[in-house]
Order: sequence, then C-alpha cells, then structure tokens
Amino acid sequence: MSQNLVRTQRKEMLLAYALLLPSLVFLAAFTYWPIVRSIWFSLHDVLLGDPDIYWLGAENYLRLLNDRLFWKVLGNTAFYTLTSVPLSIAAALLLAVALDSKLRGMAIYRSAFFYPVMIPSVAAGMVWVFLYAPGYGPINEALTGLGLPRLDWLYDSKWALPAIVIMSIWKYSGYFMLILLAALKLVPSDLHEAAKLDGISAWDRLIHITIPMISPTLYFVIIIGTLHSYQIFDYVYVMTQGGPADSTNVLTFYIYQNGFQYQDIGYASALANALLIFVLGLIGLVSLTLGRRVHYLGER
Amino acid sequence: MVLDTSVTPDIAAAPAAARRSGWRRALKGQWLHLIMLPLAFLWLCPLIWIAVTSLKTSAEVFDPAAGFFPAIPNFSNYPSTLSVAPFGKYLVNSIIVTSSILAGQLVTITLAAYAFARLNFPGKNVLFTLFLLQVMFPIYAIFLTNFVTLREMGLVNTIPAMIVPFVASGYGTFMLRQSFRQVPSELSDAARLDGCNHLEILWHVYLPLVQPTLIAFGIISVVTHWNDYMWPLLVTNSEDIRTLPIGLGLLAKADSGADWPRLMAGTTIVVSPLLVLFVIFQRRFIDSFMHTGVK
Repeated sequence: MSQNLVRTQRKEMLLAYALLLPSLVFLAAFTYWPIVRSIWFSLHDVLLGDPDIYWLGAENYLRLLNDRLFWKVLGNTAFYTLTSVPLSIAAALLLAVALDSKLRGMAIYRSAFFYPVMIPSVAAGMVWVFLYAPGYGPINEALTGLGLPRLDWLYDSKWALPAIVIMSIWKYSGYFMLILLAALKLVPSDLHEAAKLDGISAWDRLIHITIPMISPTLYFVIIIGTLHSYQIFDYVYVMTQGGPADSTNVLTFYIYQNGFQYQDIGYASALANALLIFVLGLIGLVSLTLGRRVHYLGER
Repeated sequence: MVLDTSVTPDIAAAPAAARRSGWRRALKGQWLHLIMLPLAFLWLCPLIWIAVTSLKTSAEVFDPAAGFFPAIPNFSNYPSTLSVAPFGKYLVNSIIVTSSILAGQLVTITLAAYAFARLNFPGKNVLFTLFLLQVMFPIYAIFLTNFVTLREMGLVNTIPAMIVPFVASGYGTFMLRQSFRQVPSELSDAARLDGCNHLEILWHVYLPLVQPTLIAFGIISVVTHWNDYMWPLLVTNSEDIRTLPIGLGLLAKADSGADWPRLMAGTTIVVSPLLVLFVIFQRRFIDSFMHTGVK
C-alpha cells in the first residue's frame, strides 16, 4: 500500500518535471545563461566575433567607475525612470478616478486614452519627432499660438529627455489607467457615500480612501511601470540616437553602443550588469518603502 | 448608523427637493466632460496627425501658412511608400514571428502552469521563483549576451532568432497557474475516477475552463511582439526577414525626415492592423489589459 503511494508520488514528480522541461530549456538558454555569461564576460576582454578572450579581473568595472559618460548615462536613466513612471501613474490615477464616476461616453474615453499602447514604439517615436520638429512641428505652432516661446525640443540638450518623458506619459498612462480602473471597481461605493455625507472633499477622499484601498494595485503598477521603462531604448534609437551631446543616452542604449558599435562585449557586459543592479535596486527600494505600506483588504 | 450610509439623502428629503436634486444629479459629474473632452482630443492628436499628414504634399508640411488639412487629399503617398518598402513581405514576417511566439508560449505555459497548480514535487517553490524572476529580466536587459549566443548558434538573421528568446513566459505561467487553481478540484477528481490521466484532465477539463485567461494572455503577447522593435532590429539585417516595425524604422532612416507624408503613409500602414483589430474587438482588448493587475 505505502509502496503504491510512493510510486504514485514518484510518478507525479516525474510528470511535473517533464511538464516544466520545455519552459526550463528556454528559460535556461535565454534568460539565466545570458546573466551568468555576462558576469563571466565582464571579467574578460571580449571582442564581438573574436574567439580569443583575456582575463581582466575587475578592470572593466574600474573603467566603468571612472567613465564619466557612464555616470551621465546612469543619471539620465534614473531621471527618465523617476519622472516618467510617477508622472504617468499619477495621470493614470486621475484619469481612472474621473472615468470611474459613471461619466457618459466612458467607453470612448477609455479607448481614446488606451490606444497609444497599441502603437508600435517606432511609429510612436517617429510621429513625436514630427510633432516636436522645431521649425514646422505642431507643438511649437501651438506654443506660439498660446504666446509661449518656441523650443528646440529634441535638438536641445536641456529639453530632449523631458520631451521623451512627455511622450512616455502619452504612451503608457492608458495602460496603467485600465489596471487601476479594474481595481477601483472593487472599492465598495458605500465608503465614498459615507465620506461624502460627512462633507469630505473629493481630493481628501482620493488621498484617504481611494489610494489606500487600491494600494496593492498601485504597487503592482509601479513595478510594471519600472520594467516598462526599459523600452526607452526604442525611443532613443528612433528619435535621438542618444544625442544631443549624450543628453538622452541611457544605459540600454550605451550597452548597445559599446557592444554593437564598438564591439567591446566585455565592457558592455559590465554595463549590462550595472543595469540589472540598477533595476533590481530600484524594485527592491520600491518594495521596501511602498511594499510595506500596502494595505491588503481582509488581511490585518 | 453606519448601515444608513447607503441611503442617499434626497430619499429622505421633501419631494420638491428630491426632484431638484435628481435633476442636479443627472448633470452632476458631467462637468467632468469639460476637462475630459479636450484631454481625450489631446491624446488622439498624434493619431490624427499621422492620418492627416499622410494625405498632404511635402510642400504643405513645411509651409506654416498651409492649413491643418491638405488642400486636396493626396493619396499617392500610399502607393509611393509601398513602392520603396516591401510592406507586404514585412507583414507576412510579422505574422509568422508573432504567431510562432504565441503558439510556443501557449504550449510551454499550459504545461508548466498545470505542474505548478496541481502537482506536488520537490523544488516547486524554487522553480516557481525562477519562473517569476524572468519578468524582471526582459530582453532589453539581457540582449547583449543573447545576441552572442544566437550568433554562436548561427541563428542571427533568421526568423527563429526573433522567436526563441520569447518561447518561455514566466508571466504567462503565473497568469495561467492562478486560473488553474480556481478550477474546483471536484471536477478533476471526477475525471480521475473516470480513468483520465493528468494530460487528459488538463486537455478536457482545465483548458476549456480557462479560455478567458488564454485569450487575455494571447492578446497581450500578440500586441507586445507585433510591436517589438529592439530585438528584431538587432538580429536581422536582410530585407526578406524583417518585420513591420523594422521596415518602418528603415524607411525613416532612408527618408531622414525629408518626406514626412510618405513616412506617415508608411506609419499608417504599420499602425493599422492592430488598431483595426482593437476597434473591432474593443471589449476583449480592454478586458485583457484591464485584468493584468488583478489577482
């Protein structure tokens, strides 16, 4: 009897491993092996397509620490993530709250804000190059119409990165808005009714009722948003190629430059590891600070 | 007292006041349109610009005195963009790549999700964490070494190169595992008593019940990989295997901003397939993306 049990348990175990095998093969080859390998590469002098590699130890990392461009690029990456993620989530939250209040034509609004998610990043980047064009672009025409000074946008090292941030808000808010809308629908409406009766303002209700009630989803959206911010590579590649004067050069693009343009796989791998540490650090920071304060319904 | 909060005040009030507040309630909240309407228009502007510019002449684009709309709609930009870039070929490649990724993912995530949801085996938690970690390491973070690996495998500049890094999906496995766990275990117990083995139960009991999740995952996967730019850009260098976004990028590079109407015609062609599907299947698209965040 117990031998039978052991046999079925063993059969179940073997079946489980067999079912996981297809995924594990691909995960191992294209997710975990690359990470191990990039640590290995970063300790060597490796050129793309050259079979000979030389041990360097920590030299690539020392070079990185002394690379002024690396620090600039890291700063740009941090600037982009720390502005575009909070701003698009704030916009998404306001849009979601507005659409949750039984507004007529809600479905049309929802689609109007969501459709940029469907647009390929190249296409989005290209249209915005046109919109931002200093001479004939509609945005400058609009600024002139409002009596504001015209800007050089993507050609101005002060404005190029903020210009990409503005485009990202347009591109991603709709997605975050949808996720937050789903969460808002689960907030019991009598909470709001009660607060309204007590004369609590809409703003205070947003801060003290809505945000705490949807905090798990908000937290999830922050993580998703941080991971989405990798996609800035596409925009930088299409819109600015890192310029002007490296003002839009970000880590993913700098890795590409070193690995593909200069063929320096060793140094590019050290940069890639720095990127992984940056993102993991950011996500760790978010989960330590916000994750602790997240309020889960029915879990106290 | 607390229970009373669901009662709205005007029910208790005098009839006249109730009528007035009913009228006010109908209008109330609708003032939001004053903000939302211009905002929605602002959001639609880039799309409107793509369409309108694709019908202009180059001269009209650069002339600030020309109106917002073209004097005469100039449809010749479409044939002209199709003659410089083989968008038909790109379209076929995009369909092959996107559907192969989806097919591969559906197989791998279904099998893995069933193991995680319904089977017991040593190392389950560690393996599940490994699957979830993949979400943190998208191709943008590890493209460099993946490129080196594919080069060694001789796969660079082939269709499979655009597919293989995405066949396993930690995210999809997670999504499907959650759905499998919601299937009542009585159903699978009954099937087992009828003599079904695990694979038969998976196929006949579980898969039909989680169809909404499969569709939601499918839509998200298709949108992601249809629009993907970086990875296909890095691993392709010949015309006959490029996808739509790469083709559009090349057209932009060749034009170098000189021929906006033709470029916007190309953009319209590239943007249309998904947008048309989105308009037709709006509910499904919205629902899929909406529930990515709810556990």
